Amino acid sequence: MSGEKKWRYAFFLGCVAPNRYPMIESSIRAVFDHLGAEILEMEGASCCPAPGVFRAFHIPTWLVIAARNLTIAEDLGVDVITGCNGCYGTLRDAWYELLHEPELKKMVNEHLAKVGRKFKGSIEPKHIVQALYQDMGLDYVKGFVKHKFKDLKVAVHYGCHILKPSDKRPWGGDYENPRFLDEIVEITGAKSIDYKDKFMCCGAGGAVRTAVKEVAADFSREKLVNIRDSGADIIIDCCPFCHLQLDLGQMEANNYYKDIIGEQFKVPVIYLTQLLGLSFGIDPNELGLIKNHELSGVSPFIPIDPFIEKIKEELL
Amino acid sequence: MSDNVEKYIKRKVYKKENSRIAQKFVDAGLEKIRSCINCGTCTGSCPSGRRTAYRTRSAIRKALTGDESVLQDIDIWLCTTCYYCYERCPRNIPVTDMIIKLRNIAVEEGFILDNHFTLANDIFYETGHGVPANGEGNKKWRDLRESYGLPPLPPTVHTHPEALKECQELMKSVGFRDLMDNVAEKKKQERAEQEKEEVKEK
Amino acid sequence: MTEIQKEIKVRAKDRPQIGVYVCHCGINIAGVVDVVKLKDYALSLPDVVLAREYKFMCSDNGQKMIKDDIEAGLINRVVVAACSPRMHEPTFRLTCKEAGLNQFLFEQANIREHATWVNMQDPEGAYDIAKDHIRMAVAKSRKLIPLQVQKVKVEPSCLIIGAGIAGMNSALDLADEGYKVYLVERSPTIGGHMAQLDKTFPTMDCSACILTPRMVDVARKKNIEIMSYSEVVDVSGYVGNFEVTIMKKPHYVDQEKCTACGACVESCPVTCGNEFDLGMGTRKAIYIPFPQAVPGQYTIDMDKCIKCGICARIDVCEPEAIKYDDKPEYVKVNVGTIIVATGWDLYDPTELVQYGYGRFPNVITGLQMERLLSSFGPVLGKPVRPSDGKAPHTIAFLQCVGSRNFREGGNTYCSRVCCMYATKQARQYKEKHPEAEVYIFYMDIRAFGKGYEEFYESAAENYGIKYIRGRIAEVYGGENDSIIIRAEDTLLQTPIEIEVDMFVLSCGLEARADSDKVSSLLSIQRSADGFFMEAHPKLKPVDTLTDGIFVAGVAQGPKDIPDTVAQAKGAASSAAALMAQGEVEIEPYYSVVIEHLCSGCRSCQSLCPFGAIDFDEFKKIAVVNPALCKGCGTCVSACPSGAMVQNHFANFQLDSIINVALKQPTVENGGK
Ligand SMILES: Cc1cc2nc3c(=O)[nH]c(=O)nc-3n(C[C@H](O)[C@H](O)[C@H](O)COP(=O)(O)OP(=O)(O)OC[C@H]3O[C@@H](n4cnc5c(N)ncnc54)[C@H](O)[C@@H]3O)c2cc1C
Ligand code: SF4
Ligand code: SF4
Repeated sequence: MSGEKKWRYAFFLGCVAPNRYPMIESSIRAVFDHLGAEILEMEGASCCPAPGVFRAFHIPTWLVIAARNLTIAEDLGVDVITGCNGCYGTLRDAWYELLHEPELKKMVNEHLAKVGRKFKGSIEPKHIVQALYQDMGLDYVKGFVKHKFKDLKVAVHYGCHILKPSDKRPWGGDYENPRFLDEIVEITGAKSIDYKDKFMCCGAGGAVRTAVKEVAADFSREKLVNIRDSGADIIIDCCPFCHLQLDLGQMEANNYYKDIIGEQFKVPVIYLTQLLGLSFGIDPNELGLIKNHELSGVSPFIPIDPFIEKIKEELL
Repeated sequence: MSDNVEKYIKRKVYKKENSRIAQKFVDAGLEKIRSCINCGTCTGSCPSGRRTAYRTRSAIRKALTGDESVLQDIDIWLCTTCYYCYERCPRNIPVTDMIIKLRNIAVEEGFILDNHFTLANDIFYETGHGVPANGEGNKKWRDLRESYGLPPLPPTVHTHPEALKECQELMKSVGFRDLMDNVAEKKKQERAEQEKEEVKEK
Repeated sequence: MTEIQKEIKVRAKDRPQIGVYVCHCGINIAGVVDVVKLKDYALSLPDVVLAREYKFMCSDNGQKMIKDDIEAGLINRVVVAACSPRMHEPTFRLTCKEAGLNQFLFEQANIREHATWVNMQDPEGAYDIAKDHIRMAVAKSRKLIPLQVQKVKVEPSCLIIGAGIAGMNSALDLADEGYKVYLVERSPTIGGHMAQLDKTFPTMDCSACILTPRMVDVARKKNIEIMSYSEVVDVSGYVGNFEVTIMKKPHYVDQEKCTACGACVESCPVTCGNEFDLGMGTRKAIYIPFPQAVPGQYTIDMDKCIKCGICARIDVCEPEAIKYDDKPEYVKVNVGTIIVATGWDLYDPTELVQYGYGRFPNVITGLQMERLLSSFGPVLGKPVRPSDGKAPHTIAFLQCVGSRNFREGGNTYCSRVCCMYATKQARQYKEKHPEAEVYIFYMDIRAFGKGYEEFYESAAENYGIKYIRGRIAEVYGGENDSIIIRAEDTLLQTPIEIEVDMFVLSCGLEARADSDKVSSLLSIQRSADGFFMEAHPKLKPVDTLTDGIFVAGVAQGPKDIPDTVAQAKGAASSAAALMAQGEVEIEPYYSVVIEHLCSGCRSCQSLCPFGAIDFDEFKKIAVVNPALCKGCGTCVSACPSGAMVQNHFANFQLDSIINVALKQPTVENGGK
């Protein structure tokens, strides 16, 4: 792509996407570039830090490190995007608190001053979904669709922190039954199907996965039963940590709960920009959908071949 | 003494608990929960409580009454921070945030799971990432990145040692290092005591 | 009451001799500040000739102290430093009057609400604030001018807005006492919400059976003029003399000619949802709301009418009563008093998405349940599920829907009737289906009325209704349109899931959606909950802050029928008391024009919200009509020549207060 880009964003990677699900990172890069958005690197960024984990250990640390990450984008002078609900939760909640509570801001800046930084509040942290839906708009994005997946039934998983706490999110307070993600998914021609407890948590967050994997896997088990019952072909999500939980956690559920789930789960889990990229006609290699390595014990854990099979025709 | 005395006599009557802890709850801003009407919307909304012994309302209630047993209970670590309780509480109590604050106090008192401690102390502090890709054990993840045309390590603290230093400096400044050291100390003492008991029993 | 002394003549230019009386108010004031020191401080102020302190200035003894000082000729102005003038200004004014002193030479300093109550933790700060208030009151007192109260005639008639059970009861009482009543009702029939109810708690008498005779009574009373399908569009004037404009909406049916035969209804081809049955029953485009409606007038709903002309055919409507080109009619009436009895709207639970109203067919509101239970209702009192017309086996009620909810969009107050109506409906359903399972999910059961606790106890014991303490968190749809409820049984501390066939939301009562319009029409206030505000929560529960306007029923706040009727009778009696006097005193706080300063620019005339300013074409100056002026002060601030003076609140009087307030700023701590 050439010359002037319509949008410029600082890309906050976080941990899980770059370090465990790199296909998510590459698909976001490919799709944003394709849509005419320039992605700037946030050199030296760290863990956001994770809202349910590090925030739960020590709130001030969480706030200071989050503020440091925000200042990297402030130096670039553009809004931050992240493809992770957890990072979004941290960056947005910290940003919101720092904007609304002068005492906190003062405290944070006293620490940041020691490393020559200052939180100004000059940029807004956004989720990639927010950038797609609100900055670019559905109509704009729709214009890039080349292939439509008419027979594809999708179970959309929002995850929690993209919606909640709703007073700090840009969706007008709607958290019980929003549609924005379904609308984005449906521009690809796929059908977002309703399933029981669609907005239920994947189970990973809040340090639960680290605390007791079996508990996290039981959340996933329940979700997967509901998704299986709905007849969905794939799961679409917009968070690498949910993605990990629904993918790796699917294996774990298959193991811990094999006695009660009947048939083993095998629902492919696909990240939003992987699906979008395919329908835009982007090379599946760039979207991390084609395996070209011999590594074992790496993601994705649940094979995505049935998905590729299902839509192959439409791509031709 | 008869077995039945052991079995059936439970003289536990709730007495006012440690006021030091109760004061900590107040200092942490937990008094926001004073308007709780114990309606149970939070527990009823909680996906964790549907499969575990974690009871949102009961945790909140214990904090309010200064019952410190809530800190030692693993239950509060089973909240996934899905924020349903926060959204629905009719008294507008930021319930999830209150649980997070409870966890902060728990950690301060040395109640933190080993897994969580390792994550905070050995991984986050040392690498700047919660889920890192550097180090020997993570080679396959770097290879995986390369297989998708990405550099083996992302342009984060992983490739900017000075940035990692900066993070560590901040963590020291804000008190995270001390907190972790204190926790480590408490954990050590606990283990020593446990061992002593075990020896005694033998 | 002592006899009123001959009035002592005090002229503005006489030297002020002020007596200051500091009240202890028990320990309310004296427990926080040193009242003796305050008294001494008062003595140090200019023109204060004596100061005293006493336990309760409002007591007979306290008042006597003031009277004695006045009668002894020691003082010619009085300042009492005590509570809010809202409480006792009338008391002390009367004291002055009885002693022969013009009552407008009295001034009150509120050192209780403003100083000691709000600064209990900070006695020194409270003391400083009390001093400020006394100094300001004395400063104003020095500038006070004797005024004469005005007396105006009270028209012996009353406008009642809203003909629910509240409005009807007020109307009947006033009519019995001989006053003319204009009963304005917005809908085509009187009766209000009570007409929609089936039975009433706790006695379970049939609502229609006790309501319809009252409706008929109202229609029969000669003194009552029912103006149904009408709305008040303008109110001007003042206590005793309101001029009201009422719009009679077009029925499109000539009410003189209509014989109420109902032939038109049968022939009308348009069927639509019936408001009265909350969309669960149907009516035609030409309709009466329900069979016992009073007046039994037919109305065409022009939003639904397709103008087919069938009802106008002579073979359908023999008396040729159909009038498609009917126009609204405007009527003007003069009344002495007004009673607002506009009632309530039901809370709309759609925004509580988690309860599934509007998403699942078998989630309904309590008022819909009332219609399902009504033997005159759409299913003749045999409740069925909207989805399949079958009688539900399990029903769950959820209390406090929209009530006691401090989130945005919720109502913070308790609606006071829902616990009882849910209990009533649950019992009624169990009477019809003893085998049914009925749950009521609640946070607290409020059964405070006469016979209510017994009613509740019997519901549990004799009817086996299962009360579960826990506010439902969310519901989702199950098989066969069932509803699956998630909640905590808080008493067991366990999350529970229960599948029910029907889910009833006990929605609370809300202020009418158009309350804002009514409040600005009548210049009456609303409290934070949205309902119309009473003048005093305990002592003036049916008065509004606007003289001559009263409030009754749920318009003032949620209440059940017994309380509504009691309040309606109270409002009628207060209105009657006013009208029985024949005339009322109104405070002389109107504006006056200093003729030689007025340049005749007319700025004031266009700004006066009450139309109280005329223009004297001969003298070319503005003239204030004291009876219309409400003393709002708009003209005073608008007048470029400084020709407008407002009695008792003149600029020089206010300036005197501001000057001393600023001159001695003793509140070092910023009045914390
Ligand atoms: C489901 C349910 C069940 C209930 N069951 C019971 C029970 O069993 N026992 C009991 O004691 N109480 C019960 N109640 C409470 C009872 O309904 C109220 O106490 C009663 O309706 C109050 O009467 P009201 O006259 O104040 O108001 P309303 O009944 O609302 O009457 C107000 C009237 O004013 C009219 N109006 C409104 N605005 C205007 C305007 N601007 N101009 C002209 N007219 C206007 C309206 O059209 C209406 O006719 C129940 C309430 C509900 C929701
Ligand atoms: S939802 Fe709120 S008020 Fe209800 S029990 Fe939980 S914290 Fe208390
Ligand atoms: S009456 Fe009962 S149900 Fe209604 S708001 Fe009050 S407590 Fe809740």
